[in-house]
Amino acid sequence: MIKRLTLKIARIETETKNVKTFHFSHKLEAEPGQFIMVTDYENGEKPFSLSICELDHFAITVKRIGDFTNQLFQKKCGDYLSIRGPYGSSFFVSKKKVLLVGGGCAVPTLYFLSKRLLSNNADVTLINGAKTKDELIFVDKFHSLFIQEYFVTDDGSFGEKATSVQKAEEILKTDNFSFVYASGPELMLFALKDKLKKINYEFLLERYMKCAIGVCGSCTIDPLGIRMCVEGPVLNREKIEKLTEFGHYHRDASGKRIGF
Amino acid sequence: MHKRLKIKFLGSEIDSPIVLPAGVMDMSFSSLQDAIINGAGIVTSKSLTVQPRAGHEGPVVAEFEGGMLNAMGLCNPGIDDGLKEIEQFKTNFAAPVIVSIFATNVHDFMQLAKKVDHSSAEFLELNLSCPNVFDEFGIPLAASPQQVFEIIKAVKEMTSKPVIAKLSPNVHAIIPIAESAQKAGADALCLINTVGPGMLIDIRMRKPILKNKFGGMSGPCIKPIALKLIYEVHSKIGLPIIGTGGVQSGEDVIEMWMAGASLVGVGTAVHYNGMNIFTKIKQEIIQFLEDQNYHLLMDVPRLPSQVREK
Repeated sequence: MIKRLTLKIARIETETKNVKTFHFSHKLEAEPGQFIMVTDYENGEKPFSLSICELDHFAITVKRIGDFTNQLFQKKCGDYLSIRGPYGSSFFVSKKKVLLVGGGCAVPTLYFLSKRLLSNNADVTLINGAKTKDELIFVDKFHSLFIQEYFVTDDGSFGEKATSVQKAEEILKTDNFSFVYASGPELMLFALKDKLKKINYEFLLERYMKCAIGVCGSCTIDPLGIRMCVEGPVLNREKIEKLTEFGHYHRDASGKRIGF
Repeated sequence: MHKRLKIKFLGSEIDSPIVLPAGVMDMSFSSLQDAIINGAGIVTSKSLTVQPRAGHEGPVVAEFEGGMLNAMGLCNPGIDDGLKEIEQFKTNFAAPVIVSIFATNVHDFMQLAKKVDHSSAEFLELNLSCPNVFDEFGIPLAASPQQVFEIIKAVKEMTSKPVIAKLSPNVHAIIPIAESAQKAGADALCLINTVGPGMLIDIRMRKPILKNKFGGMSGPCIKPIALKLIYEVHSKIGLPIIGTGGVQSGEDVIEMWMAGASLVGVGTAVHYNGMNIFTKIKQEIIQFLEDQNYHLLMDVPRLPSQVREK
């Protein structure tokens, strides 16, 4: 099925100095954890997880990190972008008491997940972590959901001075959760995995993507060979425990292995 | 099941006629392994070059009703790292491997072939026909019988492994090129590379969808072209053929076989159906053999050849 859309940017929200949310007025049938490919046909094409997906609109939340995102940050409301997707696997939507662990610019996808969890009557607790206060994202948006929230920063400039992983370890000792969801830098996820010996979980992982339709092989992950654009980016505990690549290396655009 | 689909190809006995072709799910040893687990008989590496290549910027693929365009731009980690993935594949799997190589001159092809000769791979494939790097390298080498001859001749001197020449459908006449390949010592041919190239346009943004503007066409719409060229080449040139182009089902494999292919590549269909497409195709081949009372795939007769003109 051909899934390409050419859409005008409906609204741009500034989240932090280097993070913006781009809204589109279009009904996208997507599940939390899924991603779209975005291009202006000039500056390449990149994958972005959905941060918001409602009946009549969706959004991506983007951190400025390189050429592509620099160009994206120059766009205005009414400018066209070409979008294809949604692609990839999604988070399992629990009905029980669950813990969401987020780090940095990977947190917004957990907002889309939280909304689905809440409409499924799950009991949601969130750890929203960042290096420093200015990099915490979606604080107000999460606040409006009335879930149990913990904010942590590496430097203690907002919330508790801790990492997301330290906070998760602490909370898991005192409270009974049935499931953990996490989205963040790979080394955060890798450290978190060790704290989750007795509980089921799903992580959202990132790999270099090109075709996003499961044919080029750029985003396969060792040793399973599964495609992160189709069988990922959300993987469950069973798969993650088998990965030898996770936390150690990834492949660049040429396929060369790069250590973390 | 496996026995009935066994094929003899260049002296090797292969469990399944299905080939994972170059460029598809072949960046890592693990995706090659996954293809074998799912029923492929042979896997092909990405086309490896002397130096690593990041490939083209995206969009690198564009879908349309009949298939898709791609302009990956020969992304690969380079021959040294690419062969490391092959060696890692070989530590766990015995299935035969084709290493595809791409270069723009005889010297680089020789250098690449020498490295492949020292590897555990069984076969060497020459990508003479990538249609997506025209801006960078000009007309594909497979357009010239003379260049095809020179490259294959030189490569054959560098390796004792069987050499497969992957030819382009985008030529005025394929027979003189296939003849050149045969005279130069090619052991087999792979037909066809992607068609075109073609282009697609986003009419709202008034831009070509592919960043490279043009891309090789694959998928169901190219199968008739592949069948015609395979049939023509098989009729006139005695070399074994790996047939590729729009194959999605067991019946498509039988068509390729009847046209003259010994092995059949399945690429774009991995996008439509995932890696378990290979298992599905194998089951469909068996079903055909049952229905038509053949014991082995190799018992299925080819179409009568065109009358040899020479």
